[in-house]
Amino acid sequence: MHGDASDAILKGCTNCGGKLFFFVKKEHIERAQQRTFDLTKKDKEQIEKDVYDIIGSEIDTDLPVVLDIESINILKPGKYELDLVNLFKRKHPLIYKLDEGKYVVDLIESFKKLSNKKD
Amino acid sequence: MIKAFKGFFRRFFNKLFKKKKQVKLGLYGPPNGGKTTLANKICVDWLGEEMGAVSNIAHETREIQVKEQILIKSGNKQIGFNLVDTPGIATKIDYEDFVKAGMKEKEAKTRAKEATKGVIDAIKWLDDMDTVIVVLDSTKDPYSQVNITIIGNLEARKIPVLVVANKIDMKKSDLKKVQAAFPQYKVIGISAKYGKNIEAFYEALFDLLG
Repeated sequence: MHGDASDAILKGCTNCGGKLFFFVKKEHIERAQQRTFDLTKKDKEQIEKDVYDIIGSEIDTDLPVVLDIESINILKPGKYELDLVNLFKRKHPLIYKLDEGKYVVDLIESFKKLSNKKD
Repeated sequence: MIKAFKGFFRRFFNKLFKKKKQVKLGLYGPPNGGKTTLANKICVDWLGEEMGAVSNIAHETREIQVKEQILIKSGNKQIGFNLVDTPGIATKIDYEDFVKAGMKEKEAKTRAKEATKGVIDAIKWLDDMDTVIVVLDSTKDPYSQVNITIIGNLEARKIPVLVVANKIDMKKSDLKKVQAAFPQYKVIGISAKYGKNIEAFYEALFDLLG
């Protein structure tokens, strides 16, 4: 778990080097911590691979990516929960450039912004 | 909101000036409702060939499939469209359901991942549709979150809709319940597998597209 504006988001996780992050709201931190403890290292690697397979065509896997799990929740490899109401609101994930060669994808916020722009 | 109006005006002007653009007719609905079975029926009836594979295990269609330039006729009238078959939309996809249906774990996990991507793709394509047929299984409860969300979003985008209550050949089928759930739409009961009431479906399609 990394806090807001953590360096890890730009440089990759200091423990494992992972570059895929899931955005968790403050009120859900406890639940998310519990869930990550339940996952094995192999599970985490598989989930990361699956996420890139699902959304990866638009994203460079070498760059840090932050995903909002409110639309697609991956409980374990092969177990998915989809929030259709959120998914229907959006079209494509928007990629934010943080620094030279560093990007963040924030699904919920980007889609809110996209839709505000159009309205 | 502007997008919904744009779509509405695009469809209105296309109709007004009879623009020769091919209409995109999408098949949407929950998994295993019979979208691909209906797509196959339409394609066999009017093109003489099938569109895609069907299966009893949910999420058989995991990629968007398009069959172009289908022309259907009724008396002197004819209408053309591109048929778009979409993956089933679900709120929960669990590989263990596929394992229970006889799949190996690895294959089931891949299917779950592809099905999830399929849901996202189906939703992305919705804004490109001119008309949508929502295919529901008439043996199941029509008041599901998936059905309500799909139909609510079509309504918000002002996309014309025809609801098909499929599998009326089955004992548990309850057409009236589906009709009661969506009173604002025309609901046609069919059996895509056996072609039951398919003529009424084509008539309704003519009314919708014509």
